[in-house]
Amino acid sequence: MTHFNFKMAPKIVLAGALVLFAVFCSSHASKRTLVLLDNWSIRETHSVFFRSLRDRGFDLTFKPADDASLALVKYGEFLYDNLVIFAPSVEEFGGSIDVAAITSFIDGGGNVLVAANSLIGEPIRDLASECGVEFDEEGTAVIDHLNYDTQDTGKHTLIVADPANLIDAKMITGDTKIAPLLFRGVGMVADPDNPLVLNVLHASSTAYSFNTDSPIEEYPHAVGKNTLLVSALQARNNARVMFFGSLDFFSDEFFSAPVQNANGGQMFETSGNRDLATALSQWVFKEKGVLKVGEVKHHKKGETSPPDYYIILEQVEYSIEISELKNGKWVPFDGKDVQLEFVRIDPFVRTTLKSTNGKFKATFKLPDVYGVYQFRVDYNRVGYTHLFSTTQVSSHPLRHTQYERFILSAYPYYASSFSMMFGLFIFSLVFLHYREETKEKAE
Amino acid sequence: MADTGSKTDIRNSLTKPAGWLSLVTFAVLSLACVAGFSSRLFAVIRFESIIHEFDPWFNYRATHHMVATNFYDFLNWFDERAWYPLGRIVGGTVYPGLMVTSGSIHYVLSLLNIPVHIRDICVFLAPMFSGLTALATYFFTKELWTPGAGLFAACFIAIVPGYISRSVAGSYDNEGIAIFALMFTYYLWIKAVKTGAIFWGALTALSYFYMVSAWGGYVFIINLIPLHVFVLLLMGRFSRRIYVAYNTFYILGTILSMQVPFVGFQPLKTSEHMAAAGVFALLHAYAFLQYVQGVLTKSEFRYFFLFAIVAAAGLVFLAVVGLTWAGVVAPWSGRFYSLWDTGYAKIHIPIIASVSEHQPTTWVSFFFDLHILICVFPAGVWFCIKNINDERVFIVLYAVSAVYFAGVMVRLMLTLTPCVCVLAAIAFSKTFEIYLKDDTTKSNVEEEKQEKNSQYYDKVQPGKKQRIREDRPKDAEGIGMNIKSIIIICLLMMLMLFAVHCTWVTSNAYSSPSIVLASYGNDGTRNILDDFREAYYWLRQNTDDKARVMSWWDYGYQIAGMGNRTTLVDNNTWNNSHIAMVGKAMSSNETAAYDIMRLLDVNYVLVIFGGVIGYSGDDINKFLWMVRIAEGEHPRDIKESDYFTPQGEFRVDSSGSKTLLNCLMYKLSYYRFGELQLDFRTPPGYDRTRGVEIGNKNIKLTHLEEAYTTEHWLVRIYRVKDLSNRIEATFSDTKAKKPKVKYSRKTSKKKRGSLKHKPKVVPGKKPTKKTKTKSKKN
Repeated sequence: MTHFNFKMAPKIVLAGALVLFAVFCSSHASKRTLVLLDNWSIRETHSVFFRSLRDRGFDLTFKPADDASLALVKYGEFLYDNLVIFAPSVEEFGGSIDVAAITSFIDGGGNVLVAANSLIGEPIRDLASECGVEFDEEGTAVIDHLNYDTQDTGKHTLIVADPANLIDAKMITGDTKIAPLLFRGVGMVADPDNPLVLNVLHASSTAYSFNTDSPIEEYPHAVGKNTLLVSALQARNNARVMFFGSLDFFSDEFFSAPVQNANGGQMFETSGNRDLATALSQWVFKEKGVLKVGEVKHHKKGETSPPDYYIILEQVEYSIEISELKNGKWVPFDGKDVQLEFVRIDPFVRTTLKSTNGKFKATFKLPDVYGVYQFRVDYNRVGYTHLFSTTQVSSHPLRHTQYERFILSAYPYYASSFSMMFGLFIFSLVFLHYREETKEKAE
Repeated sequence: MADTGSKTDIRNSLTKPAGWLSLVTFAVLSLACVAGFSSRLFAVIRFESIIHEFDPWFNYRATHHMVATNFYDFLNWFDERAWYPLGRIVGGTVYPGLMVTSGSIHYVLSLLNIPVHIRDICVFLAPMFSGLTALATYFFTKELWTPGAGLFAACFIAIVPGYISRSVAGSYDNEGIAIFALMFTYYLWIKAVKTGAIFWGALTALSYFYMVSAWGGYVFIINLIPLHVFVLLLMGRFSRRIYVAYNTFYILGTILSMQVPFVGFQPLKTSEHMAAAGVFALLHAYAFLQYVQGVLTKSEFRYFFLFAIVAAAGLVFLAVVGLTWAGVVAPWSGRFYSLWDTGYAKIHIPIIASVSEHQPTTWVSFFFDLHILICVFPAGVWFCIKNINDERVFIVLYAVSAVYFAGVMVRLMLTLTPCVCVLAAIAFSKTFEIYLKDDTTKSNVEEEKQEKNSQYYDKVQPGKKQRIREDRPKDAEGIGMNIKSIIIICLLMMLMLFAVHCTWVTSNAYSSPSIVLASYGNDGTRNILDDFREAYYWLRQNTDDKARVMSWWDYGYQIAGMGNRTTLVDNNTWNNSHIAMVGKAMSSNETAAYDIMRLLDVNYVLVIFGGVIGYSGDDINKFLWMVRIAEGEHPRDIKESDYFTPQGEFRVDSSGSKTLLNCLMYKLSYYRFGELQLDFRTPPGYDRTRGVEIGNKNIKLTHLEEAYTTEHWLVRIYRVKDLSNRIEATFSDTKAKKPKVKYSRKTSKKKRGSLKHKPKVVPGKKPTKKTKTKSKKN
């Protein structure tokens, strides 16, 4: 209470997961991955995908989804950094894993990749709904009577997805000039108002999601472009979760299959599945699109250390270091659109930071309003982790010695007071003198 | 005035030989100081040396800050822990007199190597000043009437509850020193009027400066003294003495008062001070006329006079109106309007009306605070009017205006109290003078002696009430000795009852620190409820240093003072819209409130809940004011009528309005209260304060969580959660069914999960053909 010195040590509020990730990233440990399978045969049928993960350095642990020894946490520590669930038909996870355990894994910063298919069980749907994604029910599939592959068996569920329907974010999808994608599985929808869920790949406008064996009597769960084939969640702690409607999407068979739209499409030698699967798995396991805040500095112009407090209308310099994870290394971030806000309830100053080699700088004049402000950098771009840094400072009014001593408009008053003093002096002289004269006269 | 003066002279000369008159005076005055000081110590003895209530906590914190730094740092203190995120310029929004006074006492004591903690100085400052007030009142009354009346007045003011209410030990507030400054200024003013000396006028201005630096009530002085001068002019009592006294006082006083940063240019710019300026101009005009009168002939003068009066009056009026209209002179402030129209605040400024001490005074509290004095003081006014002179005009005006203001606001009872003491003292003194006089008209010495004696008695054990009407001053010659004795005894009895009443009121009504509550069991045992400090220390010890605590503004100073945490609003209600924002958060539903709280970076919410112990000053009882203040700023979102039942009642039970039962304040107050059964005669969730069973027992919080609740549930603290990490799907506009929540079939022994269509492997049997492995198949 005694004195309110502002501790200037920049307080960086940054999602804990990002820091956690930064620490782990340099080591191999961040790649501990648990793969839950329906059955062991998936290991063989999806071997290309798993091998690509291994080649990128992931340490894969395969377990059946109903294994009694499953656990994500031991002694309060997470055993894995990533979780792959290739077990759509699971009715109940084994061991200590259940939906709540997986969501707390996500809330603890873990990344999850989930692939489903038409056999989808309730736990997977439940997990998805916890993440804001609504899977259609068991037994349904995405059907597209205009965009199906020539290999389709007649139900038009082996659909050909156009890469043009991918989300417009290169950071997530990698190169989008790839062959069409083969997809067979269940559809999902997401609330468009949910700011955390990304529609990574949606179906074409002619698709819908319904049970393949029953007549259509009610409005389908998802229709046209609302039908999502792949969706992703980047939680507020920057944990990433991705849902695929199709487990076959990752299979060796689809990776190498030729694609041709049955309605007179172009013939492609191999599908684009492998390219996309690689790109998306890189994103979801945080091999790219990760930013971190380094040193944050602010001080008066011409000085180097932050003051206890600022005074209104001072010139202030602010700088923040941001680095990006590229190929396993932290390199200076080269974004051009990072903005700084100077906020007291509302932003009083908003300016774009100029970057030089990962160091972002701005110089501005403090507003003519005192109060407690925050330097705030809130960089939220699709594909990148959410970067948020805020530093609280206070802006004081002028001290009593800092006002102008003489102001122009007051000169008449100065003149009047000095003339008054002078006049009084003269008057007293005259008065004293005059009184003596009268006395003499009276005498 | 002339009479009084000569009388005193005679008496003085007559009593001189003995020399004990001054001894008695000295003894009575020192006893008055001691009695005044010690009767204010109930709170310290019963509880501890602790700062009371709300505002004193800020004053204490400010004083502490000043002592810890220096005066200039204090002057420039920008408190970034209050009014987050606006901050508060403390140096410029506070009357520094109180802090400077105790700061200097502390400084002097430490120079003398007497280490006293600043808190103890703050706690005992008001009782110490009550002694000085008694002295000032003695001198004031002595100037007005006789030294005997002065002694009476000093004794009265020392123990009268109306003054004690603001000056018990621990009540470290502006009023504690301001009443002394007020009485002393008046004393000097009377002295200046009497003598017409620049010396006394300048001293008045200095004392006025101290008053300005101490309390906003200085406006009372700067209006009462011009009023006095004005009335003297009207009565044709204008003299050079008044001219000199007022001009010296006004010019010096105005310049000095402008040195207080909080006052600044107000003496030139606000309507409250315009009366003084107007009288200043009028006095000069009058003096000029008097001068002209001497030069011109009578008929010439009559025309000139009429013309001058009309022109001057018109000019002043036009100037004031014009300046007000042009915005140079600020119009009356709302607080000032509410003095004339008691309904004004309720309609226009709910924040003023919401303070209980701004309510109109009840009749009872006049008697409660002043007891017999309120009955006797009209007699004093009558005596003053009967023997009017320049300075008695002043006390009459003081009495009339103070009575009016005390009737408008409970708080202004304080300004009435000294004047009642003075006038009652005059009445008693006069009465005793008559009835103690021997029929045989002995020497005046005897009379004086007896009078003094009576003073002496009443100090030690004062008494009670009226009967004054029975004294017929001059023509009471024929009353017999016995009747006189009976009357004297009656008066002494009343004075004694007065003393008893004062002690009783002080001990029971005005000596609670209000941050520590005490309850008494049937057997007289005392339970201390220390929930407030428990909660504030919890905040201090368990939350982040920068944590921001949202609460209703009443508790802002205490959270800052005891909890040392940042607050959003506090008792310095300078920003109505910020308070309305908090009021809106409290009266909205949880989701809307959460948006506001995130906007304001709130970390904790603190509410006061009295339902468990039956404490009536809790937030639910204040809640309607929150709604009203919020409605004033956000009429679209908050409507007071939504919080009433269709019958127009404010109820918290099941028939209460839906809006009320789901607003944040209700939820935070009653969270988990539905599970609590206080005793076997009442159902669970029975609110003792309001005497009903609450209407919403199943309260779920989504954006907040309970962080701490004190022993008697008096203070409840909630933590505001971060935004949720994920947003769950709603399944609101789709056909798909929500995933069924199945309870687990796993047991502690059997932890195996299950898969659909999984081939069942029974040991010793071949797998049947028809089960196929799944995932691959379609």
